[in-house]
Amino acid sequence: MRFGTKARLAAIATAAVFALSACGSGSSSSSSGGAVNGAGKTLDVLVGVNTAYPEQQKQWMSDTAAKFKQQTGATLKFETFTSANEELTRIQTSVVSGQGPDVYALGTTFTPTAYSTGAFKVLTDSDWNKIGGKDRFNQAALGISGPDSSHLIGVPFASRPFVMAYNKTMLKAAGIDKPATTWDGLVDQAKKMTDPAKGQYGMAIAYKDNFDPWKYIWGMSVQAGNPLVDGKTAKLDDPTVKTAYSTYFGWLTKDKVVNPASVGWSNSQALADFASGKDAYFLMTSSGSIPTLDKSPIKDQWDYALMPTVAPGQTSDKAGSNQAASILSGDNLVVASYSKNQDLALAYINLVTSKDEQLNYQKIFGDLPANADALASLDSAPHMAALTQAAKESKATPFTGAWSDIQLDLLNVVVQSIPDLSSGNVSDSALNSRISDAQNKAQQSLNRVK
Amino acid sequence: MTTSNSASGTRHAARAARRASGPAPAVGPTNDPDESPTRSVPAISEGFETPAGKRGRGPSERNRPLWMLIPGGVLMIIVIIVPLLLGIYMSLLDLDQYTLRQWIEAPFIGIANYIEAVTQTNLFHGVWLSVSYSFIATVIAMPIGIAAAVATQNAFKGRAVVRSVFLIPYILPSFVVATVWRTMFQPGGIIDKSFHSLGADPGLFLNGPNTYWTLIFVQIWASWPFIYLLALAGLQAVDHEVHEASALDGALWWTKLRYVIFPYLKGPISLAFIIGMLNHINNFTLPFVLFGIPAPHDVELLPVLTYVTSFQSFRFGLSAAMAVVSLILIAIPLFIYLRVVKLDEAEQGGRK
Amino acid sequence: MTSTLATRPGASAVAVDRPGSRQQSQVTRLLPNWLIVVVIGVLALFVLAPVVYIVLASLNSDISVARGDFWPAVFTPDNYANIWTNVGLANGLMNSIIVAGATAIVSAALSIGTAYVLVRYQFFGRLTIMRALLALQSVPGTLLVLPVFVLFSSSATYLGLQVIGTRWGLFITYLTFALPFSTWVMVTYLRGLPKELEEAARIDGATSFGILTKIILPLSWPGIIVSGIFAFLLGWNDVLFASVMTNPTSQTAAVALQIFATSTEGGAIPYYGQMMASALVCAAPVVFLYLFFQKYLVGGLTAGGVK
Repeated sequence: MRFGTKARLAAIATAAVFALSACGSGSSSSSSGGAVNGAGKTLDVLVGVNTAYPEQQKQWMSDTAAKFKQQTGATLKFETFTSANEELTRIQTSVVSGQGPDVYALGTTFTPTAYSTGAFKVLTDSDWNKIGGKDRFNQAALGISGPDSSHLIGVPFASRPFVMAYNKTMLKAAGIDKPATTWDGLVDQAKKMTDPAKGQYGMAIAYKDNFDPWKYIWGMSVQAGNPLVDGKTAKLDDPTVKTAYSTYFGWLTKDKVVNPASVGWSNSQALADFASGKDAYFLMTSSGSIPTLDKSPIKDQWDYALMPTVAPGQTSDKAGSNQAASILSGDNLVVASYSKNQDLALAYINLVTSKDEQLNYQKIFGDLPANADALASLDSAPHMAALTQAAKESKATPFTGAWSDIQLDLLNVVVQSIPDLSSGNVSDSALNSRISDAQNKAQQSLNRVK
Repeated sequence: MTTSNSASGTRHAARAARRASGPAPAVGPTNDPDESPTRSVPAISEGFETPAGKRGRGPSERNRPLWMLIPGGVLMIIVIIVPLLLGIYMSLLDLDQYTLRQWIEAPFIGIANYIEAVTQTNLFHGVWLSVSYSFIATVIAMPIGIAAAVATQNAFKGRAVVRSVFLIPYILPSFVVATVWRTMFQPGGIIDKSFHSLGADPGLFLNGPNTYWTLIFVQIWASWPFIYLLALAGLQAVDHEVHEASALDGALWWTKLRYVIFPYLKGPISLAFIIGMLNHINNFTLPFVLFGIPAPHDVELLPVLTYVTSFQSFRFGLSAAMAVVSLILIAIPLFIYLRVVKLDEAEQGGRK
Repeated sequence: MTSTLATRPGASAVAVDRPGSRQQSQVTRLLPNWLIVVVIGVLALFVLAPVVYIVLASLNSDISVARGDFWPAVFTPDNYANIWTNVGLANGLMNSIIVAGATAIVSAALSIGTAYVLVRYQFFGRLTIMRALLALQSVPGTLLVLPVFVLFSSSATYLGLQVIGTRWGLFITYLTFALPFSTWVMVTYLRGLPKELEEAARIDGATSFGILTKIILPLSWPGIIVSGIFAFLLGWNDVLFASVMTNPTSQTAAVALQIFATSTEGGAIPYYGQMMASALVCAAPVVFLYLFFQKYLVGGLTAGGVK
């Protein structure tokens, strides 16, 4: 093969250059002017990929773009992120470069982080008026839109409250007529339905999940009256936190109501186990599990219920204590301060948070509306009762730029305990030292808040 | 070295001669006393030392086409050196989520990040894990790669297929490799089940102390083909005469391998060793996808640690400081190694 | 037969006639047949076990994979049909081929020039450059991502040159990261080439560039292909930079795959089957590339060495 002539090389090189240029045209062209009419402009929106309904999402995007074009004359372009990590990376890179999408759909727990960068628009009253006013939204969903009611950056778009799924047949067989509403009661029920010989367990728990564990700890602590962060003080060393961890680990080590293999499960694996009919309860799930469950062997036997709202060790909800049925979870829409299309951005938000659009979105993807009217109209749909109730009773995690760190610290206690967990015993001293480690790190993160 | 053999003997003589000729390698011609047997050693095996280290009559100075270094040089300055310096500068700033937006105006805090990195993070633990795991994985992958290269040296029916199969792990993207192995290693997964059916309980693979060995195992699986490729290239460079000669002498296969063939592989293998080590040390995707974050304590590797610090905790300054410290910790042994293997000492090689 | 053999290959080689090809393979045999079979068998098993798992999983249902089943209860080829719409693989594959291919070609072209100068000429700083080439590989990507991004995005702000989100940005990045290693491969290769031809050409008045393109280049294909393949794979497999620097139109197959593989918070069961199918589809072009170049790669290396 002696095609070593200059001419051929040049041809190859030219081809390479050509191929690189061809349709590799720049990214956004979100620029110029701010008139209400958006003809000739492009609005760039970053949203999370919907892994459960990829095709439907594409359809939704093109439908929405068509409606937006009709309303404003502007072109709507969607970009997607897939994981929490990628989402963070995108936010950071846009923040540091001052360019990127005009509108972001952010996971609720990242809203405080986004706020702390100062790179997103704080909505004024007139901004809110352009998108139908604050009253348009489920008031609980506004809980994590900003540090206080006059500094809101996030517009609630969708709610994904966490609930538990249960196997109606198994509950019935065990003579249980209603899912428990206290953590202690849940364990008692789970014990009745656990039979390791048959490979049947009371609960499916995802101990190895990258997100689940801290939500349990947060929820149980809040229900016991400890919000984990008090101003600039971390309160992970409070006894309520240790009780939460002990309860959470105890399901496996003491109560033995979960499959020992679950120490290695992510949420989806726990879901798969539940869907195969081997577990009575599957905790910490959201409407995203509907498609899986409806295709599963137990498709006619399951339903959702609120997770317990009474802290471990207590028998009834103490007057005035937090219910915290779920963390406030879902998506917020935020507008980048650097965006040159602020009015278009608000027009987009106005479009997609309208009642009809919200209901349409719910119908396609299962995420609950943040629009109050739309939410109210859903109560009676199948599986929706528990979800809508959870959406209304969700509690926001502390609004501080340090939260994502604290979340990681809480999770780390579980990650480092997993070897102990799998050997059947998490010792008191090891747990204490891990919690105090988490407390120190959390406090350091809070100290850095500016 | 008790065995006298021409190929390796020549090399030792050459090396000794070069050592004697002084520390500055590029200065003068080194005379190799023994010219004959390996005079036509070609190609990649010549990377690290040349038996015939003679400097020929070079072209005149003004004809040197040094401009050919410019495109590569410019690229490396723009994409590696400048960002590296920028990274070092960032390591001196109090750069976090609160200051990122106007990062140029972030407060300059000197070496405070470095002090924090050394005293308050698991930096050294991470460095130790990274280096030791890289070393073990590289050292184990090497004989595997060489054996594969040696075994596929001769033509046989289906060799092309075997060679392609061997390259599959190298071709698959890291995160696919990691995802596949994670699925296989998970509790109740295929590997766990197999162990249990044999009556053994190995414990967890993706949490706890086993994670370290899980990582090494997967890393070996993924990276031995790289060694294989370089060894293969080195083997191709062995002269036919050398094969003929040892065949005539009736040498046993392992004698021939040990004393005739392996010396040819020293260059490519040393290169493979360095590159393999560096690739492993900086491998982020594999541990990240295998174990997730926060990582179990036994696989809190350096890249994962810096990634978490910067992209989870938003401590960009601190993260940059950690990366710089680790860079220094890795670069120093690397530099010593580069000198020891006399990588750059080899002058113009090839046959006269 | 002892290990104290003193072979003089140089001396005895003269006596041997050029052997025929069958004989040749006898002569170059390095291992006994039984050992070749053992080595290949063991390694093939080692490599193929997970690959077979991928293949089976790509034909399996997701829930069954999540449960840890090895053998699919029902074989379904649907996954292979669905990936084209769900993963966005076609666009990703095209971008990957273009970016990685351009990286391979340009890095090979640049590295041969650089290596030629480093091997054949003496100049101040030469050793430093050669050491730096290897040392640069120890700079962790995680340290460079943010600065590289800042730099590229400021080129849009200050120079009006949009790099982020285009294939150019990726191409330049991969090219640069590929260069040190490509250059090293070429350095080691060029060292093995005879100098007589060059010297003759020089006497005939050829320029250095002329010598490089007319004499060195035709002899260097094996080295070029090796370094090109490495550069290609670097671009093909990267996720770290590609995930930050691309947008949906310019994203590579690796990113498309990762995007697909990552299940979102509290989501349903990942599409394992489609993921495995996509992984195989992504690996296919590289396998073909290798099969195609194998002849050149191996045959060429030998040719370059002998003649």
